[in-house]
Amino acid sequence: MIQICSGPEKQHTVKLQEGASGILMMLKRPAPDTMNIIEIQNLSKYYRRSRGIEDITLNVRQGDIFGFIGPNGAGKSTTIRILLNLIFPTSGTARIFGMDAVRDSRAIRGRIGFVPSDANLYDRMKVTEFLHYSAAFYTRDDRSDRINELAKILELDIERKIHELSSGNKKKVSIIQSLIHHPELLILDEPTVGLDPLIQSRFFNLLREENGSGTTIFFSSHVLSEVQALCKTVGIVRNGKIIKVEEIATLRKKQLKKITAVFPEETDLKSLGIRGIESAELTSGRTLIFLFSGDINDLIGIISGMQIENLIIEEPPLEEIFLHFYADHKEQ
Amino acid sequence: MNRILFHMEMRRNARSLILWSLIICALIFFTMTFFRSVLQYQQQIMDMIKLVPAAALKARGFGNLEDIFSGLGFYAANNIVYMELLGSIFAMVLCANILLKEEYGKTAEFLMSWPVGRKEIFLSKLTLAFLNIFLLNLVTALVGLVSLELFKSGAFRIKPYLILTLYTFLLNLLFGACGLLVAALHKRARPVSSFCVGLVMVCYFLYTISRISGVKGDFGYVSPFKWVSIDVLKPDYRVEVWSILLFCALTMIMILASFVIYRKKDILT
Repeated sequence: MIQICSGPEKQHTVKLQEGASGILMMLKRPAPDTMNIIEIQNLSKYYRRSRGIEDITLNVRQGDIFGFIGPNGAGKSTTIRILLNLIFPTSGTARIFGMDAVRDSRAIRGRIGFVPSDANLYDRMKVTEFLHYSAAFYTRDDRSDRINELAKILELDIERKIHELSSGNKKKVSIIQSLIHHPELLILDEPTVGLDPLIQSRFFNLLREENGSGTTIFFSSHVLSEVQALCKTVGIVRNGKIIKVEEIATLRKKQLKKITAVFPEETDLKSLGIRGIESAELTSGRTLIFLFSGDINDLIGIISGMQIENLIIEEPPLEEIFLHFYADHKEQ
Repeated sequence: MNRILFHMEMRRNARSLILWSLIICALIFFTMTFFRSVLQYQQQIMDMIKLVPAAALKARGFGNLEDIFSGLGFYAANNIVYMELLGSIFAMVLCANILLKEEYGKTAEFLMSWPVGRKEIFLSKLTLAFLNIFLLNLVTALVGLVSLELFKSGAFRIKPYLILTLYTFLLNLLFGACGLLVAALHKRARPVSSFCVGLVMVCYFLYTISRISGVKGDFGYVSPFKWVSIDVLKPDYRVEVWSILLFCALTMIMILASFVIYRKKDILT
């Protein structure tokens, strides 16, 4: 079982004096700055004999942009479907806004927005009809202004029939319906699939704006670069299990360096005797590329006694850090 | 019940309801236009019918040879095919798909992210489906009545007509509830129309065979078609309490079972 929190679980004690009795009550509650919007505890889902997710424990703090990354079939969509009460967990609990995702699903849905991975809409409707239909579940107020504003940002013609739209435009419709009501929590399942780079950039700006005004975002994706560009915290999922939950900034500061060393002649990797080498790759017998997680001084000490043509020390892209954790997990 | 969802479903199903109503009404009306010809060639038809085995006539819904020459008897025999059979197919397919189409159309992911609970979804769709079944029965009953009035050979009693209409409505509701249960039990997100049509047809053929078999045809009671009394020309034709209770009880049980299962069902899109 893996139990990880996406941030420090600060707790503070509040003393209350209750009336004349003078009884001191000790109440423990989470500090406001660490309130969890999503709390998943030991969550498992099996489809008959096959695994969906296994024993996932995960918290998403209020105001966070949480990247939920993993390859296809890792269990991302299963987790999201449990959060939305589309499917029921085999064991464990999921809570959103402190409410049970199964028992209180209706109340939860009034405060969230969701973009599914496949934008399958009601094909016979016009875009504007669909968006007003969606908005009507949240409020009786006219949301035309908000719909027009979002459609303008994402360059969507809302007078068209849904069946005439490309998959990218359907995705835009899906995004707009999730944002109309200014949700407190946005759950996005592969939301950028089908979007061109310009619209993707606008979409990310839109998400940052929403996040700035207090919306927590749960962003599921297998595209690491977009998680890197948008998210504050990342949870890595593979084979139905959480491998790592970490703030992206912390993940980058893990002393994991990408080293490229070019030797003048062919070198035997083992003969170098450097500790902390991971994911090493020797090309043409002379160029050694590896991730280094040890003390950088030790590395420089060893390398200084060698003949080297070139040495590059750089911060590895998130993708390589991600793969590094995958490799670690596999070894375990 | 959710008002928004109900209105949406009404719009989505309106075309299907209109189409089915038009087809069945047209069939009823045009079949009744033949009644005048039947009366005109009464003797020739009698001679011809004598060559047809009695069992085959029973299977077609005619209890006695003379029934065919009564407007109500002629209508009742045709009602089996038009409203009991086609109406039941409509009811079962409608009720099954009204729940399942959100799953196989993959729109359930949207619907279930909006603030509407499973109870509201189920009740809205159930209400709409049963309203459609009621409207189909109402329209066809009115068209049947008008046709009888237009083409009747003499006075006919309205009471047996209303009883037959009630039976037909209850039969359609029962198959509708059965459709809901099929949808709730169905784990794969794909249409079940063929299965629904097949099930209604099997029930109809069991009933038909049981009518041909006479006394040995008690096995026909496994088919709800058998619970509908079509002997409208019998002087003592009336509502059978046992069959009404059976229709109502089974319909309620299937609706409740569907509701319980649907609330706990994994929606796999």
